Amino acid sequence: MGVWHNADGTLDPVKVRAEYPIFKTQPGGRPLHYLDSAATGQRPQRVVDAVSKFLFTANANPHRGAYTLAQMATDRYEAARARIAAYVDVPASELVMLGSATEALNLVARSWGKANLRRGDVVLVTEAEHHANLIPWQQITREMDADLEFIPVDDVTGEILWDRLDSLMKLKPKMIALGHVSNVLGSIAPLAQIAEAAHAVGALLCVDGCQAVANMPVSIPATGADFYAFSAHKMGGLYAGGGLWARADLLAEMAPIETGGDMIHSVRLRDADFTTGTQRFEAGTPDASGAVALAAACDLLDEFGRDKIHAHEALMIERVIRELPEVLPDARILGPRDASQRAGLVAFSSDLIHAHDLAEILDRRGVAIRAGFHCAQPLHEQLELSSSARVSVAPFTTHEDLDALFAGLRDARKVFEG
Amino acid sequence: MGGMDDLYREQILEHHRRPHNQAPLAAPSVSLEGRNPNCGDVINLQLQLDEAGVITDVAFSGRGCAISQAGTSLITDELRGKRIDEILALGSPFVMELLGVEVGPTRIHCALLGLETAQKAIASLSSK
Repeated sequence: MGVWHNADGTLDPVKVRAEYPIFKTQPGGRPLHYLDSAATGQRPQRVVDAVSKFLFTANANPHRGAYTLAQMATDRYEAARARIAAYVDVPASELVMLGSATEALNLVARSWGKANLRRGDVVLVTEAEHHANLIPWQQITREMDADLEFIPVDDVTGEILWDRLDSLMKLKPKMIALGHVSNVLGSIAPLAQIAEAAHAVGALLCVDGCQAVANMPVSIPATGADFYAFSAHKMGGLYAGGGLWARADLLAEMAPIETGGDMIHSVRLRDADFTTGTQRFEAGTPDASGAVALAAACDLLDEFGRDKIHAHEALMIERVIRELPEVLPDARILGPRDASQRAGLVAFSSDLIHAHDLAEILDRRGVAIRAGFHCAQPLHEQLELSSSARVSVAPFTTHEDLDALFAGLRDARKVFEG
Repeated sequence: MGGMDDLYREQILEHHRRPHNQAPLAAPSVSLEGRNPNCGDVINLQLQLDEAGVITDVAFSGRGCAISQAGTSLITDELRGKRIDEILALGSPFVMELLGVEVGPTRIHCALLGLETAQKAIASLSSK
């Protein structure tokens, strides 16, 4: 129980909101109803304070320099790594700090894929993947003459057909790559079950955790994943930051993709030896300030309580799913109807109002939603949609935000029904 | 709500509901798909040109937001009888005038989809 909660222990979004200075502003002269946290989170005051404090009191190039200040910078950076690793329940020695989840997934595909994929090998992804967990696998399977196969979605609801997994395992995939929470469908993948199926045929599991880490409790070891990537900015950290956890034995075998300073043991004119461990994948000066920011964001999310965040967000999503058909009768909700199977978001389409027009009209009331493909074009093509509208929620989302959403939906219906 | 009434005025909504020039051409001189990769607006544009490089007929089909589809409908009405060089010289002010509203930066690529696709189609023709 902390300053962020109601007497009954549930999260109080109004108290939470006070920690996010963006809500003191009025973009376009209107109060902000931010329903696009799945695209990027808003930044808490304490995250920015932590960055300022680090840069003004401990700033030097980490891992270099023999003076006190440089050691302080190194200590802060490594303490941040440890804090972030604890947040997802893994040892700091197995968490690679990168520029984004996209970079992390590209590293797995290019490094692990290059060393392990052979002609005719199968990589399995879902039809619902974010482009960041699809295109790297397209690229590496093409390069290695391997095959890319798909776990299908239901053409109408968009739900991922996990019951096809058993028959797909007959393909003996080498790698299964998928999102922990779909950034369009909102559905939570049954990772433990998928990991068991994968490992039974010798496949590895690479998980894109971007939409999970800020919205629900995540213990990477409990997921059964072999690789797990996530991004800082969706958790309230800074823009350029991402984490990659890899199983220790896999990490030890992987070759770095980027080389340069801070990842070498010894360098000669014609060759070099690389360091061991996570640092081997972190060439160049690390984004220590970003790591410090993300560690502060982890502290805050844990103060909110991730089970409580998940429960609050489920309430908000449940209301959207329940009321949407009343306000927009032709709305087609993508993904599961049951909010408890979701984390943080719900997307829908309407033949009456194109998502882009809807986003424009909602903006007149200060309601910010995402319209388009959300970096998942193949999924939309599968569902024969040219776009969808996505509402995503956060610990600071209030019923007033949803009231504004529904008022804007009524405005839009009025415009398009004439 | 003031600005919204400008963008979604009846003329634009009318072109969105009942876009013009939808009947496919039997033998177009050039066909081209135009897309806004981020928002999913898509049009298929067909142009018929005579030997002098004048547009004699035009058709399109498409899916997308009201601004992209109405913008394309409006611009296709203007293409007939224009020469290639006249079309290549058109820019966003012309489309804004047709729409009767200044479209902001978040929607400008929707508004210009029809014109830009026509210009790319013409360019592909002359580079053949």
